[in-house]
Amino acid sequence: MAQNKRYWSGLDELHETESFQAIREQEFPAAQTVDEFLSDERMDATHTGRRDFLKFMGFSLTAATLAACETPVIKSIPYTIKPEDVTPGVANHYASTFYNGQDYGQVLVKTREGRPIFIKSNGTTGRGKVGARVNAAVLGLYDSARLQGPMKGKEAAAWEELDAAVQGAFGPSATAGRKVLLTNTIASPSLRRAIAAFGAATGAEHIQWDAVSYAGLRSAHRSEFGVDAVPRFDFAAAKAVVSIGADFLGTWGDTVRQAPDWASNRKPEAGEMSYLHAFESVMGLTGSNADVRTMIKPSEAGKVALALLSVLNGKGAASGLDDATWTAVQQAAGRLKAAGTQGLVVAGSNDAHIQVIVCAINRALGAYGVTVRLDQPWHLGRSQEEAMTQLIQDMNAGKVSALIVHGTNPAYSHPQSAAFALGLAKVGLSVSTAGWSDETASRCAWTAPDHHWLESWGDLQAYGDRVDWVQPTISPLFNTRAAGSSLLRWMASPDSDWYTFVRQTWNPAYTAAAMYTDPAWNSALHDGFMTVSDPGQAPFMDGASPGQGVSRLDAAIQAVSSAKSGAFELELYQKTTIGQGDQAANPMLQETPDPLTKVTWDNYVTMSRSDMESLGLNLYIGQEKPASVVQIQAGEVTLELPAFLLPGQKPGTVGIALGYGRGAAGESIGRAAFQTAEDGSYLQDAAGLPVPIGKNAFPFAQWVDGLPVFSQYDVKVTATGATYPLATTQIQNTYMGRESIVRETTWDAYFQEKGAKKGEASWNKLITLAVHEDVNGDGVINAQDGKPTAAFDLWHEHPVENVGHRWGMTIDLTTCTGCSACVTACHIENNVPVVGKDEVRRHRDMHWMRIDRFFASDYSLERGEAEGVGKIGAYRRMEDPAENPQTVHMPMMCQHCNHAPCETVCPVAATTHSNEGLNQMTYNRCIGTRYCANNCPYKVRRFNWFNYPGYKKFAHANPAQDALTRMVLNPDVTVRSRGVMEKCSMCVQRIQAGKLEAKKAGTPVQDGSVVTACAEACPTHAIQFGDLNDARSTVRTISETNRAYHALEEIGVKPNIFYMTKVRNTTEESTQA
Amino acid sequence: MQREAAIREPLILGNKTYKDITDDVVGPNEGPAPMGWKIMITIAALIAVYGVGSILYLLGTGIGVWGLNKTVGWSWDITNFVWWVGIGHAGTLISAVLLLFRQKWRMAINRSAEAMTIFAVIMAAIFPGIHMGRIWVSYWVLPLPNQFGSLWVNFNSPLLWDVFAISTYFSVSLVFWYIGLIPDFATIRDRMKKPLAKKIYGILSFGWSGRAKHWTRFEEVSLVLAGIATPLVFSVHSIVSMDFATSVIPGWHTTIFPPYFVSGAVFSGFAMVQTLLLIMRKGMKLENYIHVKHVEYMNIVIIVTGSIVGVAYLTELFISWYSGVEYESYAFINRFSGPYSWSYWIMMTCNVISPQLFWFKKIRRSLIATFILSIVVNIGMWFERYVIIVTSIHRDYNPSSWGEFHPTSVDIGIFIGTLGIFFTLFLGFARFFPVLALNELKTILKSSGENYKKSHESH
Repeated sequence: MAQNKRYWSGLDELHETESFQAIREQEFPAAQTVDEFLSDERMDATHTGRRDFLKFMGFSLTAATLAACETPVIKSIPYTIKPEDVTPGVANHYASTFYNGQDYGQVLVKTREGRPIFIKSNGTTGRGKVGARVNAAVLGLYDSARLQGPMKGKEAAAWEELDAAVQGAFGPSATAGRKVLLTNTIASPSLRRAIAAFGAATGAEHIQWDAVSYAGLRSAHRSEFGVDAVPRFDFAAAKAVVSIGADFLGTWGDTVRQAPDWASNRKPEAGEMSYLHAFESVMGLTGSNADVRTMIKPSEAGKVALALLSVLNGKGAASGLDDATWTAVQQAAGRLKAAGTQGLVVAGSNDAHIQVIVCAINRALGAYGVTVRLDQPWHLGRSQEEAMTQLIQDMNAGKVSALIVHGTNPAYSHPQSAAFALGLAKVGLSVSTAGWSDETASRCAWTAPDHHWLESWGDLQAYGDRVDWVQPTISPLFNTRAAGSSLLRWMASPDSDWYTFVRQTWNPAYTAAAMYTDPAWNSALHDGFMTVSDPGQAPFMDGASPGQGVSRLDAAIQAVSSAKSGAFELELYQKTTIGQGDQAANPMLQETPDPLTKVTWDNYVTMSRSDMESLGLNLYIGQEKPASVVQIQAGEVTLELPAFLLPGQKPGTVGIALGYGRGAAGESIGRAAFQTAEDGSYLQDAAGLPVPIGKNAFPFAQWVDGLPVFSQYDVKVTATGATYPLATTQIQNTYMGRESIVRETTWDAYFQEKGAKKGEASWNKLITLAVHEDVNGDGVINAQDGKPTAAFDLWHEHPVENVGHRWGMTIDLTTCTGCSACVTACHIENNVPVVGKDEVRRHRDMHWMRIDRFFASDYSLERGEAEGVGKIGAYRRMEDPAENPQTVHMPMMCQHCNHAPCETVCPVAATTHSNEGLNQMTYNRCIGTRYCANNCPYKVRRFNWFNYPGYKKFAHANPAQDALTRMVLNPDVTVRSRGVMEKCSMCVQRIQAGKLEAKKAGTPVQDGSVVTACAEACPTHAIQFGDLNDARSTVRTISETNRAYHALEEIGVKPNIFYMTKVRNTTEESTQA
Repeated sequence: MQREAAIREPLILGNKTYKDITDDVVGPNEGPAPMGWKIMITIAALIAVYGVGSILYLLGTGIGVWGLNKTVGWSWDITNFVWWVGIGHAGTLISAVLLLFRQKWRMAINRSAEAMTIFAVIMAAIFPGIHMGRIWVSYWVLPLPNQFGSLWVNFNSPLLWDVFAISTYFSVSLVFWYIGLIPDFATIRDRMKKPLAKKIYGILSFGWSGRAKHWTRFEEVSLVLAGIATPLVFSVHSIVSMDFATSVIPGWHTTIFPPYFVSGAVFSGFAMVQTLLLIMRKGMKLENYIHVKHVEYMNIVIIVTGSIVGVAYLTELFISWYSGVEYESYAFINRFSGPYSWSYWIMMTCNVISPQLFWFKKIRRSLIATFILSIVVNIGMWFERYVIIVTSIHRDYNPSSWGEFHPTSVDIGIFIGTLGIFFTLFLGFARFFPVLALNELKTILKSSGENYKKSHESH
């Protein structure tokens, strides 16, 4: 291992000395006593004078004492020549851009001592806010499964060898046959330029193919508007949104901009709120945040669109929908009409017929130009499905002589992945630029690994009005090469330096002499982008033949009306945390619970309760309650997966998440990419291969007019009788009518009491406890005489509550979508260990913050009384969610209670209260009695049950155990040992750093300068952090509004975190969405 | 000399003389160990070794080898702790409280009951130690001056009060027990022929000479220690109950806990004394000293304390409704109808119903029934602590963190291991220590011995 590593933490490690090897395994390094040290015989051999002796003794005593301490002496080598911008202990941030075919966002990469450790949205010069998938992408850089150099098959190769072979295959003397460059949607103008040049030089064709296709949307706009592009959907301009299966908040389209844009219209204090009506089969992130949600079957998506259209253009036909759905459609259409040009309908299907109808709806509303912007087309989502299908055929027919694969993994994610894999074997020369030996690369003849995006130079464009830069934040760790540079090399270009090529795209006169001296470039690089003053026509449009605008509306209507439905229908969806699956090996993402199901490390079949009951499947998942396995069969594709009860699932439909089942043939895609057993070793299947996480559902896609549509209208679902354990972080899904935890109301109710004083609105009444004194002065002492909980106090107030800072947070339940970006940001910032599936199943996840997802139950104590069921029966029924419930996403972390129940009970005072309002957790004092965790009413404390950085059970799952991946650990935060408690610290390391900066600058701490990782990551600004003692801070202002409350206020612990009542834009209270 | 009413049953049966008493009690310490004892202690020692091994595995690998999780941070560990401490209370009550109440019948049982207390407290003390995540710094709970400032412990914490309570309890019980043993060790020393044993018993008898002066001091010290130990009977388990009562968790946060726990402790302690003594008297042929009268009196204590416990259960249920606090009422609805209701009903059956059987004289005076019911009571008391701990915290305020608990083999193994260690210690005690309070029994021979009573009657 020492030979291949190019990094080491000290000279001892580099030379693999004995002492290093001895220390490496120990959890507690051995102390060396002074006696031992002093009696070392080698000391006698030296010849020292008196002064030297004293110096030596003084130094050695100190050294011996240090060595005898528990903390090992770590030899660090200081820079002899310090790099200009690298100061140990001070972070540098670089603006870069993330693009992987699915997510596109401008980010700031935080680097420490020359290595990137944290990713966040570029809030100053970026657009939108990236989510969980991008936040966690920093781990991929340090994946020890990354290819460390070019490969020929399974063997390492040299670049020269590889280049020679590829040049040969594409050169003039190459064998006859198609030469194809297969990539994902290229967003880089420079790479497009290079590909064009490559094509011109070698005669290679370029085919773009993405795992999740928007070809249907493009095809519809081509026929209806003559524009072959996906328009920009401006949710910030939309007053009423109807989504037909489009998870625009989580995974569909440009979520980085869509989520914050949508949230900008969801502020009740603004006097109006937008309206969202979602039609969904599987409960998704968007549906869970909708004001009204209607369950439909996948085959009904087109019919719903058609019905909407019919209401809007006056024909009003129910077109084969049942009454409930038809009523919902009419309701949605009513709101759309009221919004007029500010209405917006989006559909998630890749079926062009459905998209054609949606185009007609938006046109009828007049939304084009307001909420649907064809003048700002999206440069992404340009998958060419027919070309890909033809390519696979030609590959299998042996007609393809050379194939370069870049940025895409069809051997995994294409619905015909098996055929693609077979075809690959018949390609004359295949080469992949993947950084891992993934499903496609491992079957290619050669792999020319690209740099990781954090090591790359580049340019990217998602919209025509700006170019976003990609800049490296670390030198390439391995012997990889930029894909663009490889292309240039393979067409025998004289200068294959990629950086030069990129600069020349934007400044053809650029030479290396001007590398650092162009102020325009330097400033653009600093900002991370450059404005394009005259976008003109989008580059990808040149050459795309605009359709003649012959509307296919009638054909579309015909097609959707005749969609037939079988016994069961299948909806393939994506999880917000996993997406298309290219980060399947990211342990942080696998362990981040899915926002709706709260299940980790697996995919499953989502089903409705009624269907599960009729099939006799296990309804409740728990530590010892495994899920029942069902078999899903559609045509020739079958899959066996555990069944999971997800409320809101349309009966007669099932859902399976894409992005799982990677590494099914044991491909080396990452250490955490495979299931681990109870002892931490990989589970193995019958063939001795490691078991992948979940199963690949891409093959289930159906083909409609040559385009893949991610649903099936006729599948068979059968119980197999087998069981499979699922690891979920939340087993109770309703909030049991405990209204002091979750407060929600409707828009009408909110608006009526909009001006109420804090604590007086009926939907957010301050909790009072009855006292035996006439508080309200009505002359009678009864239950109406109450005092707020703050009036009852055994404890004195902390003397410094109103002096100095008092850090606090506000969390708006109205705008929290549950996307879990905050959870991943918190994990990476605070070195939270990943514990793996078995421990999560045993309810021992280590999440410092979580998002409690509560489904509404249609039962209550009042209903129980009315129906004569009794309290016991009522409580039992209240544990079950409604069939199509409303959902609340509630982020929960340490509330930093001013009268913390955890602080009083720690025997050794390991948890105390700071004079700035924080509840402090002192790891090195904690002896681990766990009373604090038991006494916490919010259950936010987590205990280190094992030695996560060292115990074998976590060798594959926990990043801290991999010698390379542990480079991502944040040096400002302790890595906790076994046996101590940990919990949210309100990112105290950031608070201290912020205070220090303010002190150095001689100014008070400005509101917004100190921000916790979660508040910073939140795409919708639902989480706000600041100083409650600062009268002008955001948190202070928000905490004084009438929607603010404390969770579980009646316990009297006085938290520093305020929640804001959830307001839904509906007219009546209902538990059904 | 005290005269006892003829109607009272004699405390020492079988026409014993002073010499008889000495022979009966000290005899087992002198001769070769009986085969039955050897077999029992081997089994107990093997179980103890398994327990110690489990403990070492726990300490080496981490608390994660137990079934605890983020919601249920305590279960078998603290259940066992409270169970063992509770058991210990009987010995102290018998030795100290009954001494102050001048109950002579305690003299046949106090020595072994106090031994049971010592060993039970040792077993109890294991659990707060091993349940800590970092036992190697457990000394930080001691308020010793240190280099950290000095950094003191948190006196607000009930766990810290436990440290004081348990250590005080252990040290006072040990001293009290040892003082009482001194004259008996001297008796053995004087009779012992084997030189090594004689030397050891000599050291243990602390220079006892049998002089009147020593006896005077002995009586005074016993009275003083009884005075110190008596409040401990009430304070120690009250403090242990504060581990729960001072929290905010519904089901824990209740003022009834101190008296409820103390009664429960005495209840389970007496049951354990019954279990041990019924076997011991048979095995060591002490039926004349520990007989139906003792068993009956102890059963009466069991009814009284068991009834208090039963009333406490019913009070809790009533208050959970009457208080109007939603969380409190849910906590109890969950107890008797939720996922762990089976443990609740075991508790109710064993603790409320079974001791009420002792109202019937026939059952109260039946040794077999007593033995069976004493085990039932201890099972019930174990489940009481399990119910209190697990059912309260697995479903508390925020439903999103509602959880479950499943024990692992290490949870169970350590508990059974402590049973093994306990019985090993107790069997060792039975072999090497005089199991009855020789010197005290002799003081009641003339007033309460069967033969003497008969001779008094005839006058």
